[in-house]
Amino acid sequence: MIVFLQSLLSGVLVGGVYALIGIGLTIIFGVMRIINFAHGDLLMVGMYLTFFIFTLLGIDPFLSILVSIPLMFLLGAFLQKVFINRVLNALPQNQILLTIGLGLVMSNTAMLLFTSDYRILTTSYSSGSVSLGGLSISTPLLLSFLITAAITAFLYWFLLKTDIGQAIRATAQDRDAAQLMGINVKRMSVLATGLGAALAGTAGALISPTYYIYPQVGSAFTLKAFVIVVLGGMGSIIGATMGGIIIGVTESLAAVTPFIGSGLKEAVVFLLFLLVLLFRPAGLLGKSRM
Amino acid sequence: MQKRIASMLAALLVPALAAAAPVKIGIINSMTGPQAPIGESLTNGMKLAEEDLKAKGIDLQLVWEDDTGKPQVGLSAVEKLASRDNVVGIVGAYTSAVTNAVAKKANDYKVPLVNPVASKEEITRQGYKYVFRVSATTEDYAAILLDMANSLGKAASIAILNENTDFGVSGAKSAKAIAEKRGIKVVFEEAYSPGSPDYRSTLSKVKAASPELVFMVSYVADAILLMRQSREIGLSPKAFLGAGAGFSTDKFASEQEISNAVFSSTQWTPSASWPGAKEFGDRYQKRFGKVPPYHAANAYAALMVMADAASKAGGDREKLAANLRAGKWDGIFGEVKFQDFDGYQGQNKHQMLVEQVQAGKFVTVWPQKFANGKAIYPFPGWKK
Repeated sequence: MIVFLQSLLSGVLVGGVYALIGIGLTIIFGVMRIINFAHGDLLMVGMYLTFFIFTLLGIDPFLSILVSIPLMFLLGAFLQKVFINRVLNALPQNQILLTIGLGLVMSNTAMLLFTSDYRILTTSYSSGSVSLGGLSISTPLLLSFLITAAITAFLYWFLLKTDIGQAIRATAQDRDAAQLMGINVKRMSVLATGLGAALAGTAGALISPTYYIYPQVGSAFTLKAFVIVVLGGMGSIIGATMGGIIIGVTESLAAVTPFIGSGLKEAVVFLLFLLVLLFRPAGLLGKSRM
Repeated sequence: MQKRIASMLAALLVPALAAAAPVKIGIINSMTGPQAPIGESLTNGMKLAEEDLKAKGIDLQLVWEDDTGKPQVGLSAVEKLASRDNVVGIVGAYTSAVTNAVAKKANDYKVPLVNPVASKEEITRQGYKYVFRVSATTEDYAAILLDMANSLGKAASIAILNENTDFGVSGAKSAKAIAEKRGIKVVFEEAYSPGSPDYRSTLSKVKAASPELVFMVSYVADAILLMRQSREIGLSPKAFLGAGAGFSTDKFASEQEISNAVFSSTQWTPSASWPGAKEFGDRYQKRFGKVPPYHAANAYAALMVMADAASKAGGDREKLAANLRAGKWDGIFGEVKFQDFDGYQGQNKHQMLVEQVQAGKFVTVWPQKFANGKAIYPFPGWKK
């Protein structure tokens, strides 16, 4: 029982960070209908930013997001303005090629600059834990979950209550109609990409105290983010939040299920993914376009 | 016409080359990719060997190939070295997965391969005539750790956790067989896929099985992650045993909070009483600013052996293989001799050691003959 609860708990906590990665991807997709295959690499950039802010300036990884969020936002906005904007009306395969290419450029630049060495952040709380009725909760994971929750709550408020948020959502719902209503959809696209990049960077910052950093770290997360977003329904923020937690919990519980174990936990995730798509082709909360 | 000129030139050149007798050796190593941090130690070890060989008057030409940690890249490296660069022999690769593929290919091409540090048992158990291994096998990794644990107090149970790579699976299989032979009950056994950010659920299962020994087989970064998360969930057995690789790197030792009192099997330490081991350690430290891990010494020994045998073969691969089969070398790595025994071919019988991290430093604790410190046992528990 304690093993089950422990796994459930760490699954939810890890899932929170997954959700953050998924939300970034889903916002970009929602507004521009472009799947950002460089998402994991943006996360990698966020991780390196955190690493250097920590090792060179001595700023705590969790505090460093105050610096990395604006920087990552600018990077995202720059990528949108200079590259992605040009392929908005291009064929989908060209859009995919562009984002994959951007990702490759980022990861290979990182390899040139920082070599392929693994880097590990060691903070005073890296392996710390709080115990609660026999369960132990990882301190860095708990902190990152709380920050994720706060950021997600803020994001919901921003998207639901503010004018800009509503404009972003309107663009996501129907780009043409939004434009007819006087919304500057170009600006919304820049904002959305910036926001998506900032969220990916934040997720990178939040996992770096408990994970390791290397230039190719992104690809695994791109795939994960993609699964989360499709599972929850493309473009749906609530869906991405749910998707992230579901994936986190599934991975964690699969690892402790007899006969499955940690070597096969990813297979279970993809099995679940296939099942969801079989019965709900548009994802859990997605609106079918049929 | 051109062909004829070329062949005439070749006929003129061959005897001239034979007189100068350059020794051309290919090297396959993980210079980039996820295994690069350990690959770098191999490169450094071989660079020192290159200097020593040149000082001895051997006209050594090394052709470096990067396998990026992937078997398929290793395969094309063998093809290039064997057919285009026309090397007489190959030294490599680092990981078991790459070496396993490379060994088969080298054997097909009849190019002698000397492997420095890959330890999957099967590599030298497939009847290859051109594959020689300096490295000990995973069987030795597990055996030396369990012998050491037994000497400190009879353990009743063990949990085995390994990554699902060639090295990991082979290591776990050997550990299980040896544990059962010594009457230690295997209460938990699982392979995990490397690179996951969260091993907590697996580790809490280990904790629930409450084993006296926890045996882990992992590469660089996962070793640190596994120990961090063990601390988080309060997994505290009598001893943590790591099978070399990720557990015997400097980076691991420097994470004092989580590395203290962790045992690791190793093939070499600078304090081992083999001739020149200490000098090699000092020289390496001076040159690269790090204490050499066993990987560097393995690589050094492998290249020394290969170059010595090759310098007497005059560019003939068959002759080189015969020299490797017949020869015997002594150096910083102890005695190296390729033998056939227990189903192995061309396998060096190497004396393994056990080291333990004590306050951020590796201390050799077993076997007694090589020890330079006392083991901390049982595991003192996590500092809060």
